[in-house]
Amino acid sequence: MDADSKRLSRPKMGGWIFFLVGLIAALIVGWIVFPLVLYSEKSQPLSFSHSSHGPESDAGLECEECHFFYKDGTFSGIPGIRKCMDCHEDPESPLSEDPEEVKLFTDYVGPEKEIPWLIYSRQPDCVYFPHIAHVKMANIECKVCHGDFATRKTPPIYKVNRLTRYSIDIWGRNIAGYKKNTWDKMKMDDCADCHKRKGKENNNACFVCHK
Amino acid sequence: MEFSRRNFIKFAVGGLGGTMLSPLPWKLIDDIAIWTQNWSWVPVPARGKFSYIKTVCTLCPGACGIEVRKVGSRAVKIEGRSDYPVNQGAICPLGMAGLQILYNGGIRWKAPMKRVGPRGSQEWKEIPWDEAIDELAIRIKGLRDKGNPEKLAAIDGNQSRSTMALLIKRLINSIGSPNYMFMPREEDTHATANFLMQGTNGPIAFDLENADLILSFGCGLLDGWGAPGRMLSTWRQWANNGKKHKTYLVQVDPRASNTASKADLWLAPFPGTEAALAMGIAHVIIKGKLYHKKFIENHSFGFYDWFDEKGVEHKGFSKIVLEKYSPQMVENITGIKRRVIIEVAKKFASAHAPIAIAGKGKGTLPGSLYEFMAVHALNALKGRVNKEGGSLITDDVPLAQWSDVEYDSVAKDGLIKERVDCAGTPQYPFSRSLIHKFTEAINSGHGSPIDTLLLCSANPVYTIPDSQSFIEALAKIPFIVSFSPFMDETSLMADLILPDHTHLEKIVDIVWPTGIQYPLYALSQPVVKPIYRTKHSGDVIISLADRIGGQVAGSFQWTNFEEALKERVRGLYDSGNEKVSWADIKKNGYWYIPAHSFGRWIDIFKTPSKKFEFFSTEIELALKAYSKEKSFDNALINLGISSKGDEVYMPHYEEIKSGADKKEYPLLLFPMELINLASGWIGNPPFLNKTLFNHQLKRDDLFVEVNPKTASQYRLKEGSKAIIRSPKGELKVRIHLFDGAMPGVIFVPFGLGHTAYDKHLKGKGVNPNKIIDQVEDPLSGQPVWWNTRVELIKI
Repeated sequence: MDADSKRLSRPKMGGWIFFLVGLIAALIVGWIVFPLVLYSEKSQPLSFSHSSHGPESDAGLECEECHFFYKDGTFSGIPGIRKCMDCHEDPESPLSEDPEEVKLFTDYVGPEKEIPWLIYSRQPDCVYFPHIAHVKMANIECKVCHGDFATRKTPPIYKVNRLTRYSIDIWGRNIAGYKKNTWDKMKMDDCADCHKRKGKENNNACFVCHK
Repeated sequence: MEFSRRNFIKFAVGGLGGTMLSPLPWKLIDDIAIWTQNWSWVPVPARGKFSYIKTVCTLCPGACGIEVRKVGSRAVKIEGRSDYPVNQGAICPLGMAGLQILYNGGIRWKAPMKRVGPRGSQEWKEIPWDEAIDELAIRIKGLRDKGNPEKLAAIDGNQSRSTMALLIKRLINSIGSPNYMFMPREEDTHATANFLMQGTNGPIAFDLENADLILSFGCGLLDGWGAPGRMLSTWRQWANNGKKHKTYLVQVDPRASNTASKADLWLAPFPGTEAALAMGIAHVIIKGKLYHKKFIENHSFGFYDWFDEKGVEHKGFSKIVLEKYSPQMVENITGIKRRVIIEVAKKFASAHAPIAIAGKGKGTLPGSLYEFMAVHALNALKGRVNKEGGSLITDDVPLAQWSDVEYDSVAKDGLIKERVDCAGTPQYPFSRSLIHKFTEAINSGHGSPIDTLLLCSANPVYTIPDSQSFIEALAKIPFIVSFSPFMDETSLMADLILPDHTHLEKIVDIVWPTGIQYPLYALSQPVVKPIYRTKHSGDVIISLADRIGGQVAGSFQWTNFEEALKERVRGLYDSGNEKVSWADIKKNGYWYIPAHSFGRWIDIFKTPSKKFEFFSTEIELALKAYSKEKSFDNALINLGISSKGDEVYMPHYEEIKSGADKKEYPLLLFPMELINLASGWIGNPPFLNKTLFNHQLKRDDLFVEVNPKTASQYRLKEGSKAIIRSPKGELKVRIHLFDGAMPGVIFVPFGLGHTAYDKHLKGKGVNPNKIIDQVEDPLSGQPVWWNTRVELIKI
């Protein structure tokens, strides 16, 4: 056989299968395997139920009772154990028989130890974020950034990025970075988008947040 | 189908394409960027509650308000305080970098130390506080038992009116020694000039904010002068005044400093001839009758010719100025064109609220007394004394006086002995402290007249001109005690270290921050708990007095320093101007009265003539007293005054003499001060090293600024290595060509060339103080630090 017939005898599309296999394998790795490897799951030390504490519940607490502002305008964030002890004060007479409440007493209230909550919205130290400017001045609701926590029975699973050590909620649970709701993501671009939408583009200057 | 090379490439390309179509690379890039922030060696403060502490920076006598941000118990950031009158939010680079002074363990003494090896060997033993204070108390008691309390001396660097300074002076005096000395400072030249011309002793106050023309004879207004934060905020205010109310700045400076390059007009007379320039300006004002007639005629003395009680005629200031300081004559002395002198004089005379201020650089080192008088004479000519926007005459902050010291017989005998530094003697009638004379006295004798020397908030081995002589003197002093928080050059030569807290760990006050125009009492408060086993020097002094016992202990009946402070502050409450409590002042960090009563020329001058004196009666009295012992001409020679006749008592130009031969040393060494380089007793923090350009400091080499013309005479190029040689020694430097440097002058920054501290400072650059060939300023006797003749040698 001469050289020409040799070339003709080859299946024309055969090699492209390898291309497709490579392509599909990479897509699977990129879209499915990579996110599984990148994040590890952790559960919160206590399965805290916002819904049984919030305004609609028997406890009937307003958000501000636990997540309050100090006199100087700084935000208290997640309340300390003393705040829990305002209600759950007597280990002998728990308010319910919930095993999580028992755990609260034995592990934290008794030894007066702070609960090591995992914080979904933790930002790097180089970011300065004043809650007061957003909550009191711009009147933005908590859920706009944090999602609707107030009605949750259990806290969401905390997924931590193995590289960055920040929660998945910063980049967003969608690996492509696609967002449907304002609270889906908490990256710098999301801050900037919102500033822009609200006509506060001046606040996108570097030094406003990176002091 | 085989997995050939070709197919492998197809697989790889497919894989690459698929990867690029997945979020993997983009997400990974973002994550890796954040991952780099988590490296263990990246400095990140611990997590904790944020808090802000408002206090006052006491790193210089400017006392700017600062706000320190803390995370948990750690201070993480210092910012200017905007609700504080002095600086209104502005802050200097040193103030901002203050955390490195607090947290840099490599430069701090961590506990009381006792020297165990030979001096300078740096062999130390940590000892308990009780033992350390006892050792000093026993030594002082020993001196008192032998009847030699005057052999105790102190060198103090605290602000003159501060409670710390008063406490140290009280200790030295109650023990029975007259030898309380303080570091040379510009404030004293201003104070003496004011005393001689106005008879006043109050704080120095310039109402720069309300002036519309500022004639600065060298003050580095933007180079760290006065309270640096105040000047930065004042500059902002001037800029906001708009064109109509613009403040016009004339800067007299031999170098294009920050201030000179931003001034409206920059004049560069030969260094040391500023007084002649002021007199030339006075000439134009007097000749054109542009002066303030009401002030001159009714409230000044010695302007016109006059007769004394004996009927002898004296020449008036106006006559001498007209005779000796015509613009042409002044051009010959200063090098400033007569046309420019006339222009500046007319501008000064026609301004609504002009002010003339004397001084150099940061305004911390002493100046020439006659020059300061000449500059202040310009203020008087325009009636700018105690006027809005002028030079103000003020009473002290109304703090309460402590009860008088009750001296025992040992103390009384000690106090009548003469001071080692001759300050206040007929030869130095207007000086209260002369450290170079102290050095001379020790170096000239066989033994040392001082047995025990206390050093507080000062690093004279590094900051005193002609430091080598001072080091020789220290070597002869049997026992040296340092209160420094830092392992600086001077404390390394001590025998006992009683380390103080740093400025962010303690409560201290600054009374009337330097140069501000209203009474202000500033109080710092501890921002963090002491990090090491250090102790507040105020507390140490009180417990030292207690252990010395007797009348000394009786003069220190406080249990701690805060009580002593509180007792003085009570005066603010009692003065009734503004009802304040100790708690208020502690919380706010200050007390002040923003009002001033201007004018009052009729009763404000406390001179013998009760007027502003162009002819200083005080100088006349002092000269009379001094010339009793010797002839009048000899008296003038000893005082360093070269002029004759009535001029001696009046502001005039005195050429500062130098012992060095002009042929052998053709150039002049002019030390300069930079706002971003700490040059006093505080070592430069590493943050500020980073702000120095490569043509200022490169690795360990310091660059000096030389005019290209001068450099070319010595065949020196940018970066060339050279030696600066003075009669006192040599400095190895590199050359930076700078058109803004006056030809014939070499500009060397103060602040580098440390031989102590840590790797960020030790061995970096050179210290001009080492080769300064100091002479004495006529009349004041203060060291002249800016007139060293040098030669430049290419290597």
